[in-house]
Amino acid sequence: MARQTIPDLLPGTLDLLILRTLQTQTLHGWAISERIQQISQDVLQINQGSLYPALHRLEHQSWIEAEWAVSELGRRAKYYRLTPAGRRQLALEAGEWERMTTAIGRVMKLA
Amino acid sequence: MNRRDLFLRVRALIARRHVERELDEELSFHVERETQKHIAAGLSPADARARALARFGPVPLAADQCRDARGVSVVDDVIRDVLYAFRTFRRAPLAAFTIVATVALGLGLVATVFTVYNFVLFRVDAVRNPAELYAVQMEQRTAPGEEPDVVFTRRAYDALRRETNVFSDTFAMSDYAGRVGGRLVRGSLVTGNFFQALGVHTTLGRPLLAEDDEGAGRPVMVLSHTGWRKLFDRDPAVIGRRVMMEGAPYEIVGVMPDGFRGLGVTSSDFWAPLARAGRLGADVAVRADDNWLVVIGRLKPEMSREAATAALAVWASGQTTFARIPGSQILVTLIPRQGTLPLDNTGALLLFSPAFFAFGLILMIGCANVGNLLLARGVSRQREIGIRLSLGASRRRIVRQLLTESLLLALAAAACGVAVSQLFLQGALYAAVTTIPPDFAEFASMLNLAVPGWDWRVLAFLVAGAIVSTMCFGLAPALRVTRLDLVQTMRGELSRDVHPHRARRALIAVQVGASALLLICAAIFLRGAIAAATTDPGVRTSDTVRVSLEIETQRDALLQALRLDPLVAVVAASSRTGHGVIETPASPAQTSVAPTRTSVEQLAVSSEYFDVLGLPLVSGRGFTQAERTAEAGVVVVSETIARQLWPNGGGVGQVVRFEATPSTPAAAPPPSPRMMTVVGIVRDPGSNSGMSFRGVYLPTGPESPGTWLMLRVRGNPEEARRALLERLTGLDPAFGILTLRSATRMQAYVLRIAFWVAAVLGGLALALTVSGLFSVLSYLIEQQAKEIGVRMALGATTKHVAELVLSQSLRPVGIGLAAGGALAAAAATVLMATPAASEIGGSVDVLDPVAYAASALVIAAASLIAVSIPTLRAAHLDPIATLRND
Repeated sequence: MARQTIPDLLPGTLDLLILRTLQTQTLHGWAISERIQQISQDVLQINQGSLYPALHRLEHQSWIEAEWAVSELGRRAKYYRLTPAGRRQLALEAGEWERMTTAIGRVMKLA
Repeated sequence: MNRRDLFLRVRALIARRHVERELDEELSFHVERETQKHIAAGLSPADARARALARFGPVPLAADQCRDARGVSVVDDVIRDVLYAFRTFRRAPLAAFTIVATVALGLGLVATVFTVYNFVLFRVDAVRNPAELYAVQMEQRTAPGEEPDVVFTRRAYDALRRETNVFSDTFAMSDYAGRVGGRLVRGSLVTGNFFQALGVHTTLGRPLLAEDDEGAGRPVMVLSHTGWRKLFDRDPAVIGRRVMMEGAPYEIVGVMPDGFRGLGVTSSDFWAPLARAGRLGADVAVRADDNWLVVIGRLKPEMSREAATAALAVWASGQTTFARIPGSQILVTLIPRQGTLPLDNTGALLLFSPAFFAFGLILMIGCANVGNLLLARGVSRQREIGIRLSLGASRRRIVRQLLTESLLLALAAAACGVAVSQLFLQGALYAAVTTIPPDFAEFASMLNLAVPGWDWRVLAFLVAGAIVSTMCFGLAPALRVTRLDLVQTMRGELSRDVHPHRARRALIAVQVGASALLLICAAIFLRGAIAAATTDPGVRTSDTVRVSLEIETQRDALLQALRLDPLVAVVAASSRTGHGVIETPASPAQTSVAPTRTSVEQLAVSSEYFDVLGLPLVSGRGFTQAERTAEAGVVVVSETIARQLWPNGGGVGQVVRFEATPSTPAAAPPPSPRMMTVVGIVRDPGSNSGMSFRGVYLPTGPESPGTWLMLRVRGNPEEARRALLERLTGLDPAFGILTLRSATRMQAYVLRIAFWVAAVLGGLALALTVSGLFSVLSYLIEQQAKEIGVRMALGATTKHVAELVLSQSLRPVGIGLAAGGALAAAAATVLMATPAASEIGGSVDVLDPVAYAASALVIAAASLIAVSIPTLRAAHLDPIATLRND
């Protein structure tokens, strides 16, 4: 199976994946990309260059907030955390995603 | 944009370095973490790092995208553009200076007009909600076109205040001029609520109060800042001091702040209670009942102007408090008084548009020059712009940067424009005051003329003007010079023909046309001024002096003094002009002539009038000593009117029906129409005499109230005027005296002012045009040096070359001249079709061929000089040097 970089998926998917990844834990940028890759069993590989602009954009929208903390390497890293507003946004987008995939699934099965 | 977003943006702007460091750290951490992962998987550190970087992609690009997410890149770009622009200015300071100076001149001139407009139209005084103020004007219509004003009396004002409900407050005022300590002063007599209604406060003492205006009124006054300076030299202890005015002491109770002018264009010297009007003899009629008042109300917020007008019309039609013409219909108009002129916005714009246009032409010519300059500079900046384009800057980005440069220069010019406009206004006022005819000098000083200052509206206007002019002179060159062939530019081949010659020629034609328009105006005014000063006014001005009384009760004493004065040879009288309708009845003796009805001006004159003014009788006789009132049943008719009424000649001995239309309160009760015998026909006075009267003369005498006295004096009229002024001031402190010679000069004076304004503008326009022509042509020749060199090498003579260059440049000059002349003639024709034509036509000839020819000649000569220098340079090019150079 060919690896997919995320921008090839539906637009807005990267934001959704970042929000979902941050739902349960606080992570820095590299960990977010690793986690997505792991969970998707290497199917989804984030274009790392576009990860950070996306993180900054989400931060500007107050959906996530950042905090500097000491990382596993022993040097400072920027950790991101979901805000209450981000949590609401995630619920909204996840529901939307659910509806969309269900619809596509139906079409694929029945059409 | 939420609060968090705003915080992050502001932080990115203020703590830029800190934010940048954080971004750097975040990205480098990612790469290092990825490298660690690969090392852990067994790669060498170098390989691991290379792999991590490859996976990440270009780091600067990601950083840039993060900056974009911050949304401050626009601000960043602007800051960078501004800094870049300053570096460019430092490299070419002369070009920057030229542009700023040219645009500052143009913007400053337009701002001059706007400053006056602003001063006249917007109440910069601290008046509360000036937009609510309306003056009530009433007219009574007797016939279409016959609508004399209703004279507002104090009683009518009181009734309006009591009985109507459209204004939240209403006040009345009346102008007054008199002498205090020998100085002519101007004041307003106002109702006690004047200051409260306007919402203004004194700096010293108290304002006038309602109690001051009760009964016969208290003798108190509030000084304006101007009056305070004029009469008391800004003495801070002025409150409680007294001034003598017409024999009564007036106590100073308050002083208004500097900015408050009252409701006029220029400041009053003082305000006194309107109830004092009876004592002050403010107008012909001294009874308080008959005072001519301006009534101004503050419209209630919930009232519309239409509803208020309707309510007032209903009220007015039931009124008996003012003199009514039976059977007339009362028309009420509410005139906005938010500005100092009773005009609404469209009227004001219409009034000022010729000035805005004329002064704007200079700005336009200046912008054309700057546009040309920027185009020429664009060629020398091609390499710089080419490099930036090939390094990946977008064209839009470079255009924006070039426009930022232009806008910065224009804004600097706008700042200088404030100074230019103030200088221009001060110069104009100084010139106007120092050249005014002496009889008017004192009157002019009473007007308290001052240069209007600038305020935030002028600044806002200038900033808007700077933006508009940037678009005019900067946009086209910026678009033009960024349209480059990159490959050629990088090879160092600068394209020479960045701008097509056609556009340059069009610019020259427009400039020349605008200069022609202004210079033609100047020439027309100058010719008018010369004509007014030199042609025979048709009346005797050499020894005639006009006296106007202000206090009627002193008339007999004044007349007595004049008759006994050795300087005075003859005393004649004439009343102020009114209107009437003259009708020749169809008489059985003249069946061929249909009855004619003509509306004419009327002037009541005494028997000596025609002699004093030197108006010869064409036929018949003048009035006799015995004929002193309209009761005498005789009239004298102007030549023009006589020709209208009796085209076949004759007229003397005819009987006409004459009906006067009342215009002044003195004329009430309205005279009934009467039959009059025409006893004489008199020559018309010249149109430049300042008394261009055509109509019907009725008999009167110097004793009749309301008449002006016309004196024949012995010796120099100006000296006689001064002597009489000194001798008679004791009798009537406010009387006016004027030599007829300067009355005729006044017209020449006004035309001379108009000439100087047009001449200064025309001169500036010509100077800008000529310098533009010169630099454009020099530049073109530099560009064409190669072509000229080839031609010369192939055998062209200097004459050929000169012809080539001249034909290139003189054609647009010719086109511009023709267009400017045609435009002026078209404007003149349109102007003569408006009602203003009779006023203008009397003093200037708008289609004067000499004026057109002279200005065309001046422009042609100036252009020829400007063109000849570059042409000579071209003709003397050394073809070998030119060709080798390239």
